[in-house]
Amino acid sequence: MKWSYMDHWVTETPQGPQPPSFNRAHMDRYVKQLSALGFQGFDTFFFYLPMLAGMYGSVAAFERFLQDNGFDKITGIFSAYPYATKYTAPHVRETHDRIFADCENTVRAVEGLSVENFIVMPTTTYFQVEPVTPDKIKIMADLWNRVGAMTLRHGMKTTCHFEFWGAIRTREQLDLFFAETDPALVHFFCDTAQHTIAGVDPIQMFRDYRERCTGFHFKDTHTVDTNEAYRTPPDPELMAPGVDRWFYEMGTEGGLVDFPALMREIVASGYDGWLTVEHDKAELGGGSYAEATCVAKWYIDNVLAEVAA
Amino acid sequence: MRWAYALNQWNIRMDVFVRHEDQRRALKTVSACGFDHVELAAGTGRWDNLGRPEVILLNHGSHAGFLAFLRECSVQGVSSMYWDPGQPVEEEGWAFRSAANPADHDAIVESAKPFVDFLAGVGAEQLVVRPAGSAWMSPPLDHDAIKHIGQLWNRVSELAAASGVRVALHYDCLGAVHTEADLESLLAATDAGLALDTAELTIGGIDPVAFYRRHHDRVTHVHLKDTRYADTGTEYLMPGAETTMLRGGAGRHIERWFYELGTDGGLVDVKGFVAALREHAYPGWVVVESDHGGNPAELAMLNSWYLQHELGWERHGNR
Repeated sequence: MKWSYMDHWVTETPQGPQPPSFNRAHMDRYVKQLSALGFQGFDTFFFYLPMLAGMYGSVAAFERFLQDNGFDKITGIFSAYPYATKYTAPHVRETHDRIFADCENTVRAVEGLSVENFIVMPTTTYFQVEPVTPDKIKIMADLWNRVGAMTLRHGMKTTCHFEFWGAIRTREQLDLFFAETDPALVHFFCDTAQHTIAGVDPIQMFRDYRERCTGFHFKDTHTVDTNEAYRTPPDPELMAPGVDRWFYEMGTEGGLVDFPALMREIVASGYDGWLTVEHDKAELGGGSYAEATCVAKWYIDNVLAEVAA
Repeated sequence: MRWAYALNQWNIRMDVFVRHEDQRRALKTVSACGFDHVELAAGTGRWDNLGRPEVILLNHGSHAGFLAFLRECSVQGVSSMYWDPGQPVEEEGWAFRSAANPADHDAIVESAKPFVDFLAGVGAEQLVVRPAGSAWMSPPLDHDAIKHIGQLWNRVSELAAASGVRVALHYDCLGAVHTEADLESLLAATDAGLALDTAELTIGGIDPVAFYRRHHDRVTHVHLKDTRYADTGTEYLMPGAETTMLRGGAGRHIERWFYELGTDGGLVDVKGFVAALREHAYPGWVVVESDHGGNPAELAMLNSWYLQHELGWERHGNR
């Protein structure tokens, strides 16, 4: 199994807790820490690419630094429009040219590397799209079909990562979206926590969309959203009443995702792509990204490795 | 040479690192970084529940129960335990004892027994002790004082040996045994081994590589860590040096002395030191320590990276 790490990291700096892109020394330390645990792939956000190029000379030079520390490569770039504006809103056809151009710029920033996944949030917040209708889902599908064809020309697969608070969140909406998109152009990225919060079984999603699945975010949650928190304006991730923290690393008490069962399913399916550890807002409640990452990697090495074997 | 990681960096205040889940997360962190043994540090009271043998047993029922707790997190055992008999503890009625005072020796030997029994019970080898108190708290040690200190540790060593445990005297940069000559005198006065701490020696003005080469036959335990600073000569004598010097309360106001391996500006020749250990086929434990330097998990990961990438270390565990 090949494990990559999705970059949400926050570390202590003299100017308070900051992402390691704070400066080159912090970025170096961060890469070394991930390297010590044996991660081989590195996923990051589109907005970090210019910073990485600035710190290392180019994104390719950053990738060489990763390789000097035992990584294979940059494996995925995450791009998103979480908040609808008059300029960018996937459910509004008039904004598609702008979104397409943004995506093409991002893809060009990693031209020449062998990044595999162009990971997108296919929608903005639910409350900005509702009522979610088949017509709106078709408009979003059209956008990602178009982007998917473009990224394929650059050697990357467009793959959709669904949020519990996004406009495509129920099983019915997911099925409709995938029916409206071309399997050759638009792929499925399985975030175990997001689907679970939304009341969708991530293992069943993988089973049903195995042929279109190009990656995973292995993260856990302790809460299923049964109170329509997903509709909270302006943001359900940090502002939903009653839930201070949605996301947890693998291996915590109260975790709802059955990772061993998912791993058995992955092995049985013959899936040979990347598996990605993601920690989102791990610092909430006094946690640290470093410790969360160690605990998750321990879980991989000691629990999931046995299942995979 | 065997490698372990010290848990002391997680236990930074009285009321933290108490819940078993917090301890499990630290153990999993150590394991994920490739270590499968840990060093414990003595403490006091109900919240120091990895620091007092009787409290560990209250928490886990038995030595086997404690080992099962460690192994649940893929940590196989305990390499060693650090103990300072000069540190007053609740379990000893807050008695203030000095290794330099022969009148305190019986009580110190008695107070070593729970640690020796515990280490023997969990299959650990080393009781790592602070041989004498801080230099600023007492007059300079004369020949007789060092002789008395040596006698005390011979008695504790004898007691420990009966249970298959060895005693290693840990040099630290604030200790009354301060200069190279002091340390050599102490070694001459005792049969106990030396716990060589690379950063502490460096701060104290002693080159750890050269010292190891000269005294490798006496070194039975190692603490591996780095520092960016050395004592200018008399800082360790500042009143309250634990705070005024090591926490930057006075003098040069250096708030952090100990650093991870590979730190920028590190003064310890870590590669040279480990090469010397390898040259002499050092058979003991090398305990990597971060002390109280920052986020424990980050430092453990950086130390692991350094060992793997700069020292060719073969880590334990799956990857």
